[in-house]
Amino acid sequence: MLLKEATSDQMDEIIARYPRSRSAIMPLLHLVQSIEGFVTPQGIELVASKLGLSTAEVSGVATFYTQYKRRPVGEYHVGVCTNTLCAVMGGDAIFAGLKEHLGIGNDERTSDGKVSLEHIECNAACDYAPLIMVNWEFFDNQTVESAKALVDSLRDGEPPAPSRGPDRLPTWKENSAVLAGLNDGHANEGVQAGPASLVGLEIANRQIPEIGEQR
Amino acid sequence: MTITNNTENVVAQAEMVTATIDGFEVSVPKGTLIIRAAETIGIQIPRFCDHPLLAPVGACRQCLVDVEVNGRAFPKPQASCTMPIEPGMVVKTQLSSPVAEKAQRGVMEFLLINHPLDCPVCDKGGECPLQNQAMSTGQGQTRFEGTKRTFPKPINISSQVLLDRERCILCARCTRFSEQIAGDPFISMSERGALQQVAIYEKDPFESYFSGNTIQICPVGALTGASYRFRARPFDLVSTATACEHCAAGCSMRTDVRRSKVLRRLAGDDPAVNEEWNCDKGRWAFTYATAPDRLTTPLIRNEMSGELVPASWPEAIAVAAAGLSKSRAAVLPGGRLTLEEVYTYQKFARVVLGTNDIDFRARPFSAEESAFLASHVVGSTISNADIDSADSVLLISFEAEEESPIIFLRIRKQVMKRALKVGTVAPFLTPGASKLNAMLYHSITEIESFFTNKSLILVGERAAQTPGLLSKVIEIANSSGAKIAWIPRRAGERGAIEAGAIGNLLPLGRPVSNATARVDIAAAWGIASLPSGPGLDTLEILKSAATGQIGALLIGGLDPFDLAEPAIALAALDSAFVVSLELRESEVTKRANVVFPVASVTEKSGTFLNWEGRERGFEQVLKDTTRVSDLRVLTMLAEALAAPLNLRDSVSAKAEFDSLGEWDGERTPAPSEPIVAAPTPSAGEAVLITWRMLLDLGSMQDGEANLAGTARKANVKLAAETASEIGVRDGDLVRVSTEAGSIALPLEITEMPVRVVWLPENSFGSQIRRSLRVTSGALVRIGSEA
Ligand code: SF4
Ligand code: SF4
Ligand code: FES
Ligand code: FES
Repeated sequence: MLLKEATSDQMDEIIARYPRSRSAIMPLLHLVQSIEGFVTPQGIELVASKLGLSTAEVSGVATFYTQYKRRPVGEYHVGVCTNTLCAVMGGDAIFAGLKEHLGIGNDERTSDGKVSLEHIECNAACDYAPLIMVNWEFFDNQTVESAKALVDSLRDGEPPAPSRGPDRLPTWKENSAVLAGLNDGHANEGVQAGPASLVGLEIANRQIPEIGEQR
Repeated sequence: MTITNNTENVVAQAEMVTATIDGFEVSVPKGTLIIRAAETIGIQIPRFCDHPLLAPVGACRQCLVDVEVNGRAFPKPQASCTMPIEPGMVVKTQLSSPVAEKAQRGVMEFLLINHPLDCPVCDKGGECPLQNQAMSTGQGQTRFEGTKRTFPKPINISSQVLLDRERCILCARCTRFSEQIAGDPFISMSERGALQQVAIYEKDPFESYFSGNTIQICPVGALTGASYRFRARPFDLVSTATACEHCAAGCSMRTDVRRSKVLRRLAGDDPAVNEEWNCDKGRWAFTYATAPDRLTTPLIRNEMSGELVPASWPEAIAVAAAGLSKSRAAVLPGGRLTLEEVYTYQKFARVVLGTNDIDFRARPFSAEESAFLASHVVGSTISNADIDSADSVLLISFEAEEESPIIFLRIRKQVMKRALKVGTVAPFLTPGASKLNAMLYHSITEIESFFTNKSLILVGERAAQTPGLLSKVIEIANSSGAKIAWIPRRAGERGAIEAGAIGNLLPLGRPVSNATARVDIAAAWGIASLPSGPGLDTLEILKSAATGQIGALLIGGLDPFDLAEPAIALAALDSAFVVSLELRESEVTKRANVVFPVASVTEKSGTFLNWEGRERGFEQVLKDTTRVSDLRVLTMLAEALAAPLNLRDSVSAKAEFDSLGEWDGERTPAPSEPIVAAPTPSAGEAVLITWRMLLDLGSMQDGEANLAGTARKANVKLAAETASEIGVRDGDLVRVSTEAGSIALPLEITEMPVRVVWLPENSFGSQIRRSLRVTSGALVRIGSEA
């Protein structure tokens, strides 16, 4: 089996990081996605046999978390935040605009397989609302126009760098491997806490200087 | 039979905690949950997910109560099924707290939002905790005006279990049972939010031997049994407390009848035996008693035509009596009778036929086993409590999950609770043994440092197929102080031993060879003397019948293909005058001279003794039957032979048995046979090991296709080395053959000794005794089918 040959050693390496093997279930499912693009039945069966769990237990986990996909997604999976803050700041409009622009609905993929679309819940980046995540990398302060331009360049094979995080945008499969716990060497790149996130701290430092000094 | 509690296992006085619930003071052992503590003073808090035998989960939120500890109230109601009582805690349930009452009402309203209005067509309606508690804790009107979430319904999660997802309230009782109790997590919670549902993994159905328990504990009608679905309303059923007739675990059961028809069986609540569980065989295998080939009238073989023809009872009794009195006769009662019946069979043999030629064993056995039963099994008081308190448990020739599933659950509970050490002597680690985290030993001689004087050795009836094994077990027990318990497969075997339905024993362990014992029993029976010579065993009886030394056979339950040598049995049946007491047409009735139709378990009352020797009494379920029990047939025969048994019914038989008292004289000495080396196979040969699966082609599972659909599929198991020696790979067809015949099944490569082959004994595609005509330990040929 292809998947098995491709991942067996990596699975063992990940499993070895945990005192109890079953704790490795979530990284292993990401690892499956890094090869297959989504959680395939073979993936579920392989993870179950690696961890000594039943297939029902593994599929219970795989179907609970929305980050695990049961159908192929695009090379670039575009998540538009439509939780309250992003929604009022333009998230709803962006999502509607992208649907129309790409001609696909929620949880669907363009026919060239490049881009898929999903409305996502808050990603704790409200200070950069409205937010788009591509393969779980941040694209801050979006507008309907910038979002359309973003997906066009993704489809053209010229992915722009994310607003924060790594210097270059990884593919869905590449980032699935990162989520599985494999180091892609991009961990320390880019902005970590951006200016909007630090505003509050600056105000606090200004108003209560002692605290700032103590820091 | 007295069952003593294990006195070494006295529980230390638990530390008590005092609190108030609804103004009443309660004192409960530390760690007691609020919901349990409330029960002790008769306060019922509504609940769904809570189950006393499952770990708390707090999934349904129906049991909310107000709680105050150290004068500080929790800001909102708490789940009483997950919170233990603390000293000085003040609990207010729905009875004294309007807040708790409102919270429970609110939870109920939420639970009902997506619940369909199925009650009129739902199996659970009438005995449904949701229905009942919606009445006690809910409100008459719903405020929900949206559209209910619906699912296609129902879906099969196995051939026997159906799931209506929209009825499910997500209490996780079923998934917790399967994981925590059975060790079969083949169902789990899938999806999330409003779509959350119980699910199997598509390719792996819910084929657990214990799946029926989930139906019983589901607090709604989400899980139903294919065989019972839509058959009855609970309030139309008449229930009788019964005992399971299948295996020697002896589960308590409840049998439900509607208009003289058994519609379902449920696990009874018996903490000392089966807690609240049973296995799927016990639950669903009862249709054999209503099979179309059930015998209805006595039959006599017509001398001219050779055919069996219906006859009246008096006529059949007369013919049978004449045939039994004409020549030397022997008795083969079988291993599935009640204590009362088998007691009557042996009394018939000794009083009416004047012989000790009686043997209940309708399966492979040995003379070594006869001695072992007399020295170590009869009168034994080892019980389930010994499993609970053992330091370690060793299974020998005993696959607990297949051969006595409730003992398996009992052992597993201790494995989960206190990491009980378990070992198994077997060719490979079965799924059942691995769920017990068992250590695997290929031979009893390789076991070291396993035993203490609080170890328990559970020996299965298959041990008799390995010469010297039982003697070796005794030797180990003697040197280590470990206890030995013997676990037969059939429900009636222990009773047969206590009743003395074997050539070397009179009732209650009295040796036939002991003159005092014989006088004892003769006096009790009011006769001058008892036959003194040791009786022949099953095989000797059949051999003598085949050669004409024995002219007549009185047979209870016997299948020639259960015996080690079916050919001898068939020859015996062909040549002797055979009187058969049977439920249904069988290999015996086909060859019998007189056939009496007898009552099934539902048509009689009586007592089984389970493996512990514990009485499992049961009432007659079908009260208006005209069926006649084995016991009545025997008393009629005895009267016709002018040797009355003085046993009117099962009550008088039980009373007479009980009045005999224990034997305090000398016991039969233990066997001491050498271990015989197994044959050494050359390439292309292997030593056969085989046992029965829980669900197989056993005739008492006939007529229940839904249950049969969950049986484990038959395959042949070989070690990788053996497989490559004969040029086969995993999944290939392998043919196993003897002079008599052959079996071809797909191969499962298994970690096991080389040149050993395993096959199931009586499964679809693998009927060892019919095709191969050998038992475990035989040398067979193996080869590629391609
Ligand atoms: S199927 Fe029944 S037992 Fe299982 S979670 Fe649903 S309601 Fe509970
Ligand atoms: S474990 Fe044995 S006694 Fe219990 S239900 Fe199953 S077959 Fe019957
Ligand atoms: S609401 Fe969109 S990131 Fe928080
Ligand atoms: S019974 Fe307490 S949460 Fe379900």
